Amino acid sequence: MTVLGYLANGLVFSSIIVLGSIGLSLVYSIADFANFAHGDTMTIGAYSALVTFGAVGGLGGAVLGLPYGFFVALVVGIAVAAVVAVATEKLIYEPLDVDSIGLLITSIGIAFIYRAVIQIRFGSDFTRFDVRPLRPIEALVPYGVRITLHDVAIFGSAVALVVGLHVLLQYTDLGRKMRAMADNPDLARVSGIRTKRVKLWTWVIGAGLAGAGGVFLGLFNQLAPRMGFNLLLVIFAAVILGGIGSVYGAMAGGFLIGMINQLTPFFSNVVEALPIRPNWLATVIENMITIEYANAIAFVIMVVVLLVRPNGIAGEAAT
Amino acid sequence: MSDGMTDDTTGAAEGPHGGTDPVLSLSSVDSGYGEVQVLDDCSVRLDPGEIVCLVGPNGAGKSTVLKTAFGMLTPWTGTVEYHGRDIGGMAPEEIVREGIGYVPQTDNVFGSLTIDENLRMGGVARDGSLEEVIETLYDRFPIIDEKRGSKAKTLSGGQRQVLAFARALVMEPDVLLIDEPSAGLAPNTADDVFEDVKEVNDMDTAILMVEQNVTKGLGISDRGYVLDQGTVRFEGTPEELLNDEEVSQLYLGG
Repeated sequence: MTVLGYLANGLVFSSIIVLGSIGLSLVYSIADFANFAHGDTMTIGAYSALVTFGAVGGLGGAVLGLPYGFFVALVVGIAVAAVVAVATEKLIYEPLDVDSIGLLITSIGIAFIYRAVIQIRFGSDFTRFDVRPLRPIEALVPYGVRITLHDVAIFGSAVALVVGLHVLLQYTDLGRKMRAMADNPDLARVSGIRTKRVKLWTWVIGAGLAGAGGVFLGLFNQLAPRMGFNLLLVIFAAVILGGIGSVYGAMAGGFLIGMINQLTPFFSNVVEALPIRPNWLATVIENMITIEYANAIAFVIMVVVLLVRPNGIAGEAAT
Repeated sequence: MSDGMTDDTTGAAEGPHGGTDPVLSLSSVDSGYGEVQVLDDCSVRLDPGEIVCLVGPNGAGKSTVLKTAFGMLTPWTGTVEYHGRDIGGMAPEEIVREGIGYVPQTDNVFGSLTIDENLRMGGVARDGSLEEVIETLYDRFPIIDEKRGSKAKTLSGGQRQVLAFARALVMEPDVLLIDEPSAGLAPNTADDVFEDVKEVNDMDTAILMVEQNVTKGLGISDRGYVLDQGTVRFEGTPEELLNDEEVSQLYLGG
């Protein structure tokens, strides 16, 4: 594959990471809550879509190699993820009335519950959406880019969702209230913002985007009960890299982490081409920079960035 | 002497707004943070159109009076009444809707929002269009008018204070609680802010304010309370408080 090919894969994978990162960051900044169940919320979205798609089927036509029924399933996946998150907030997090550390620990338990329920119903094996696998887009193959129409659909949908979120945050009343709450929760209440309501909307939006990310992750790879949890660390890395609490930082961080993840094989090609001496060092480095270590490399880069910018890409210099 | 003075003025019959019912009153309030009691049988009243200044040593409970009046703390005992209605323990976001505004001492603007957005946030509880009231505020405070689109964190200390007032005024409250308007400001800027407080008051907004700068704070006030250890020790007109030897020596730094 060429650099372009890796970049294209990076764009697709980044789309999924960004969708996950936004929700984690929104809930962190507005509800003051590092939600460890966020990855499993993605899993819920994916499996809800799987069930829905199984039930509604193709529904006739297709866009970008995906039957209409898949988009219905996507919407249901988003909705179920949002509803489950709101229900969990209302039934568990809010009545518990504990501080942010208490919420964090509780959310780890919630993550296990989400996953266990899925595992009871679907088993722990991998599964796939019943969509016909596509060949790479012919016109792009000569450039070394091997992406399918499905990948285009993932990227396009993610861009649409991110643009939608941006418009919501900047130009709507709810968005301004969300930014105000993230900025200064006490002053938000003093100003008359009904913060509980805004928090619920934050859950709806954050979990909804996570649900979408989960559906796309299932389409990109496959579905498994651990799919979301496995991605959680990467998503946390993205959010921290971007500057924890900044939604736009989370987008940037998600993009970078996703890119780095998919560019790892390319890095290893580059390293191979470098005249590294002595030979044993070259061997060690080559063995380190392989796809198995893609996440580890992303974390190393996160640490390096944080050494230079301790508050992340979008973080304030001082708080 | 001091007892006599308190008795004189609690009746407030001779006060500038004498004979009217208070807009806001705390009666025999105990209140505090968690287990720690700060206010102890504290009674404060604010009549329509007045400026009332709370002074006293650090830790006397001045800010706690404002926080209890505004629902950020629930009174343990005693009542908080607004126009005769008990509002003790109501949530701040609901008290705003009743007609009370609050300007915190620190972090009183949304730094990452623009001036315009700050003012819009001040009006979230208002029905209908905000444009008219916000334009009126821009006319009144040209210092922020010039910077509508800038982030609030780019404002100077004095400008921030003005924005904090303006944010609270979008609701057109008839009571404004202000916590140390001059804190951290240069003397000249502080004078401007006190001018603004007076101007806000001229718009028929009664003001209950906490102020460390006793002379200036009382200087623009109709009445003042001296708080110590969570309770009112003295009450009177600014002249009475500033000229009282005991008050001066004990609480106003001689």
